[in-house]
Amino acid sequence: MDALIEIANRAVADYGFRQAALWSPGDVAARWELSATETAVLEGALHDALDALPVPVEPADVPAEQERIAGIIREALAG
Amino acid sequence: MRLMTDRLKDKIAIITGGSSGIGRQTALRFVGEGASVAIADRNRRMGEETLRLVQEAGGNAIFVPVDVGDPDQVARMVEQTVARFGRLDVLVNAAAILIRTPPLAEVEERDWDLMMDVNLKGLFFCCKYAIPAMLDSGGGSIVNIASMAGLRGYGMSLPYAVTKAGVIHLTTTAAAQYTEQGIRVNVIAPGSVDTPQFRGSTASTEAVREREEQHPMGRVGTPDEIANVILFLASDEASYVSGSLFVVDGGLASVGR
Repeated sequence: MDALIEIANRAVADYGFRQAALWSPGDVAARWELSATETAVLEGALHDALDALPVPVEPADVPAEQERIAGIIREALAG
Repeated sequence: MRLMTDRLKDKIAIITGGSSGIGRQTALRFVGEGASVAIADRNRRMGEETLRLVQEAGGNAIFVPVDVGDPDQVARMVEQTVARFGRLDVLVNAAAILIRTPPLAEVEERDWDLMMDVNLKGLFFCCKYAIPAMLDSGGGSIVNIASMAGLRGYGMSLPYAVTKAGVIHLTTTAAAQYTEQGIRVNVIAPGSVDTPQFRGSTASTEAVREREEQHPMGRVGTPDEIANVILFLASDEASYVSGSLFVVDGGLASVGR
């Protein structure tokens, strides 16, 4: 879960990294050595959450967005 | 009201990175000038949105989902385009990602690889598979999109700057190898352009405003202002232009910023 949250945190703060996470999830999953379950979350719930973010996420909003999306990840992995 | 003059009449073009920004605007400009285009991108949702906009403008186009870092997908992109339109005349390599990184000693290998795979290796694959199709069509024009980051130090992302420097040199070398066979290869180095990538990588609305104020024109460029140069290079108006670099930065470099 830690690697997935690290990916999400970077993707919230960095639009370019977000593009990689959104549109090359297999590549990102391989490089970050995600499990099959984590990869499914990256391609599912996390994809949808990242794709809905504004461009850019203003710096003041980054911590709250990171925490919100970490919650989505925890919920998806628990489910 | 834009004057339409069929500057690309009957030309067939592939535009990578066609889902947004410079790529999307180039697709719209090209079909407005009589070209048929393959809009290529890994972002299916935005790519199909570009396709819709192009078709609403009366353009003839297809969307091809592709990760340019995957040579098999790139080969299929070219095959699909030729199968649909019968030939290939123009390749615009606009696909790229910019990931912010710390200074060199702290750059992670996987960030380096992510940018290399799309920005440089992906562009190489696109040229590699498009060139044979262009030769079969009797020649063509390749327009590569680099960046001012490829020409000078760029603190935001060393890997990005290196990929863009590589694009510039790939262009010069490819021009040396293929101009004689009728393929012109040129490269544009845009400065700041108001695209989602620019706004996203600049990281805040305030930083965007500061960036605009640094420019002699008091603003950054528009995607259309880059597409205009791409259009020229793709068209027969640039018939004596190959191996050339075009800086399109609103005069920013001229004032040393």
